[in-house]
Amino acid sequence: MSAQDFMGFDHHPDPELGAALRAALEPRDQAAFVARVMARFDQARAVVPAWEVLARWAGRGIAAAALLALAAALALGRGQAPGSLDEALIAATDPGTSVTTALLVGEGPPDPGTVFAAVVGAER
Amino acid sequence: MSAESQPGAPLPRIAQQEEAELVRRSLAGDREAFGRLVERYAAQARRVARAVLRNPDDADDAAQDAFLAALTKLDRYDPGRPFGPWLMRIVANAATDRRRRRAVRQAEPLAAELVGGGRRPDAEAERAALGERLLEALAQLPERRRLAVVLFDVEGYPHAEIARILGVPEGTVRSEVFHARRRLRQLLADWKEAR
Repeated sequence: MSAQDFMGFDHHPDPELGAALRAALEPRDQAAFVARVMARFDQARAVVPAWEVLARWAGRGIAAAALLALAAALALGRGQAPGSLDEALIAATDPGTSVTTALLVGEGPPDPGTVFAAVVGAER
Repeated sequence: MSAESQPGAPLPRIAQQEEAELVRRSLAGDREAFGRLVERYAAQARRVARAVLRNPDDADDAAQDAFLAALTKLDRYDPGRPFGPWLMRIVANAATDRRRRRAVRQAEPLAAELVGGGRRPDAEAERAALGERLLEALAQLPERRRLAVVLFDVEGYPHAEIARILGVPEGTVRSEVFHARRRLRQLLADWKEAR
């Protein structure tokens, strides 16, 4: 091979060789191939929304779990605080202590009725 | 570059902008846009994959893998550059990976009856026989040489783009195309002579 052969040989595509190679390599059933790729595309997309849904569920699940944990803590702590209105009122007999303060400093959660009474009393 | 464009034809600016838009829409999950890219490049991707993998089914699997890999990498595509070479690099890599994984056996020597280039009863059979001979000859070339000549003479990419696709210097591409052509042209000449 001379340098001139090499330099002058390959600057442009060879139409004859290109056509022969193209015919030899030409794939069949183009539509079926495209459909196959698009089916895989759809499968791939179907996976993504599923993860998004799971992510949304996870968010709600965490919130629900937090609420459950809070409820459980409240249930466990019941009885250690001035849970009844009477207990709160007794605690509030100390000088400088209101019903609300007694509820807040309690170790456990108050009874909802007690809280309601404290709120109503505060509004009076 | 359109898969159906003539070899060597430069990519029209408008086509490149359109492709960049299709890529942008595909990235946003637009099925139709991705489908148009697949339709446009399916034939080219399958031919390039087949230049590496002789088995047409393996080549189609590699081309399909390449399209899906491209989909996951679309955010890395530079819309200022033509889409075809970027995709063909992925196709070539997918085909090479598949060939390595499957340990596809090296091409066998040309069949004696094909080397002889005997006359065939009709044009269709002659074309099929020539195609088979070309595929056999192509398979005997080193992989990079195969890809270089197919990308240059069949797909019409310029040397510089092929260099980027194959990750080699432009001079190497010229050399690979030269050597591949010498072998394949000899085959074509023998074929013509025998007819």
